[in-house]
Amino acid sequence: MLLQTAITGLAIGGIYALMAVGYSLVFSVLNFSNFAHGSVIMLGAYAGYFILTKAGASFPVALAGSMVAGAVLGITNERLAYRPLRVRNARPLYFMISAMGVAIFLENLVYATLGAHFYSYPEVLGRSIVRIGGASIGILDLFALAFSSVAITGLHLFLHRTKSGLAIRACSFDMTVASVFGVRIDRTVGLVFGLAGALAGLSGIFLGMKYMAYPTMGWITNKAYVAAVIGGLGSLPGAVIGGIVLGLLETFVSVYVSSIIRDVFSFSALVLVLLAMPNGLMGKYVEEKI
Amino acid sequence: MAFAECIRLSKHFGGVRAVNDLSFKVDEGEILGLIGPNGAGKTTVFNLLTGFYRPTSGSMLFRGRELSGLTPPDIVGLGIARTFQNIRLFSNLSVLDNVRSVLYRHARYGFVEALLRSPRVRLCERHVHEKAMEYLEEVGLADRAHDRASHLPYGLQRKLELARALALEPVLLLLDEPAAGMNPEESMNLVELIRDIREKHNLTVILIEHHMDVVMTLSHRIVVMNFGEKLMEGSPEEVQSDVRVIEAYLGEEYAGAYRR
Amino acid sequence: MYIQGVLTVAMINIISTAGLAVFTGFTGLFSLGHAAFMAVGAYTSAILTYFVKAPYLLALAAGVLASCFLSALVGYPTLRTRLRGDYFAIATIGMGEATRVILENLKITQGARGLPGITQYTTLPVAAAAAAVVLLLARNMLASVYGRNAVAVREDAVAAEMSGIHLLRTRMISLVFSAGCAGLAGGLYAHYLAFIQPVMFTMVQSTQITAAVVCGGTGSLTGPALAAFVFTVAPELLRAAQMWRLVIYGLMLVLIMVFRPQGLMGYRDLSWQGVLSLSDRLRKSVAGGKDGKG
Repeated sequence: MLLQTAITGLAIGGIYALMAVGYSLVFSVLNFSNFAHGSVIMLGAYAGYFILTKAGASFPVALAGSMVAGAVLGITNERLAYRPLRVRNARPLYFMISAMGVAIFLENLVYATLGAHFYSYPEVLGRSIVRIGGASIGILDLFALAFSSVAITGLHLFLHRTKSGLAIRACSFDMTVASVFGVRIDRTVGLVFGLAGALAGLSGIFLGMKYMAYPTMGWITNKAYVAAVIGGLGSLPGAVIGGIVLGLLETFVSVYVSSIIRDVFSFSALVLVLLAMPNGLMGKYVEEKI
Repeated sequence: MAFAECIRLSKHFGGVRAVNDLSFKVDEGEILGLIGPNGAGKTTVFNLLTGFYRPTSGSMLFRGRELSGLTPPDIVGLGIARTFQNIRLFSNLSVLDNVRSVLYRHARYGFVEALLRSPRVRLCERHVHEKAMEYLEEVGLADRAHDRASHLPYGLQRKLELARALALEPVLLLLDEPAAGMNPEESMNLVELIRDIREKHNLTVILIEHHMDVVMTLSHRIVVMNFGEKLMEGSPEEVQSDVRVIEAYLGEEYAGAYRR
Repeated sequence: MYIQGVLTVAMINIISTAGLAVFTGFTGLFSLGHAAFMAVGAYTSAILTYFVKAPYLLALAAGVLASCFLSALVGYPTLRTRLRGDYFAIATIGMGEATRVILENLKITQGARGLPGITQYTTLPVAAAAAAVVLLLARNMLASVYGRNAVAVREDAVAAEMSGIHLLRTRMISLVFSAGCAGLAGGLYAHYLAFIQPVMFTMVQSTQITAAVVCGGTGSLTGPALAAFVFTVAPELLRAAQMWRLVIYGLMLVLIMVFRPQGLMGYRDLSWQGVLSLSDRLRKSVAGGKDGKG
């Protein structure tokens, strides 16, 4: 039972981690909470669904398609809703409001046009179960976990081994200084949103396959925000750890205490962590230049 | 007991030693200049003194009282005020409101009274309004009281910051590059203004400045910093002729030329 | 009768919007959870009148206190850092979810099915009077040291601290006040609709209130109040479906942020002077146009 719980927790934690990393990536570079991240996830789920059913394409295509859709959406989102604020040095509050606006807009647009149907993904990976020790894990969960790890590792390598990645990291420390050193800010920010969007699209298709695609699924992302805060806003390793820890803890509470308490638990965990560690587990406290 | 004192003060940000083992005293009533090349750690000293940063080690004393660990509002309460290098005004508020915001700390009424707008609240409002206008007149901004702070020209914004700092009724005033961006004429006006203010309010001043004419004219004594440490201290004449100071600012070649 | 109903709801929305205007407009902090404060106010007061037959005013007051308490609980750990409002915003999201779950699972709240049969104490005069009182109190608060401090903190937290203002204290006071307003609105609403369900208090409500504050103008009280009124009445006139209404709110939020972040009224409030000077200016420009000048 213990192992099973742990494995189930790990599976959901992996998805939380994937969502949290995309969100934390934007936060670490631009210092703002992209509350529209959930909508990109939601649209990624829809994109994957339609690619599989309407276009009749294969799974790898759908996977790639939702990542591309997410990336495009992320970049467009930035260009239209955030860049005008960034070039004016608007205060963080305005960014949050704009992000919220995008989220509400997209979610209800889908609701109003496509309706409230829950779209159920076709069986793509089959329903086989893999046994580990005495516990079992669905093939989908295993695949999602594996692919997410690959994606996150890929992101890490990109950030630390490529020139563009270096530009991103420079921006996350000090955008003005980075631009003085020749970093093209607009391009780099676009890249960040593209990457975050791709991760969101990926999360979306996994969530869609695991559960279903529906307009309000963006709110699952709330867990990701909580995970990112617990792990420490702005820290990518923190986001991963936060996601996994949250997934594990939630599942344990769900199994050993009560499944209803689960949502209350994640909120309480957030409050407790912030009480003890105001910057989360590994948070980067951005000291504003005074 | 010195009026204010830093004793072996250090602030490290990871590997960066912004301030390292810094010690100096400030005497009551004097104007102390704090100079040094960019990055020498001068503003960090101000941030430490006003509670925005916690020291890594060392201590800061003000009238015998330890400052480390106190929050900025506490330190303001002890009588220390400062202006900021990159002006920090309440941009969307009027000039008058900028000064008024500071004066509300004297308000002595509770929340319920505030909700009901008792006579005491109204009295306080009038009082705050009057005092704010006084401070504006002192720096010469009374005629622009209702302009939006962000619409003021740069030089007047600096004056507004000064007025706001004065409204805190400090005994120690920390000025961070008050003459930045000013032309020589404006700088000299500023010098006069600071002198007058110091006389009138019996202030002690620590002044960070890059305009050498301003620093040398105003300061009684100067502390020179470089790489977070104290390079030397002395009278303006002593500092101006010190080779190490010239070297720090201009590099070795010029110091060598100066020596010859 | 129908018009009365719409106006009553409009008054109630003005109350919750006024509270959020103080918090977001004047203190500069973003909240996604004010619907949860409304829920707490609604359920607390409804349970008291329904099960204990408590007097209406007492029940409303209890609802207000409950919301205030919850807000203090959430605000204290999350509003401490000098700069970031993100922690608080995310915490309010979590709080909203947690509140909904708790309400759906407590016996006394009768779960997701909701609590029916609440006495309809809230009539239009009651709601209008409450709105007037709240607006007056909010205006007084904003014109006092508490409001001034909040605005200073919004403008520049560092400079505010250096002016002797305590960040956490100031923010908490704003938060608790705004939560109290939401709690009152919730209590009034419960006793108007005579029936409440957890799903009535979700992000949708929070969004509508936020949209009214943003459109009405940050730094203004009358602007958001007007916007709240329009947002309640207009959809009824247009018979717009709920979901399209939200699409428009979302779009409006983005457009306003991009093009006119200070909203309709900006940092000003409606006053007789304002109206008179506006009509003066209009008259002058018309006269000037006629003369061929200006």
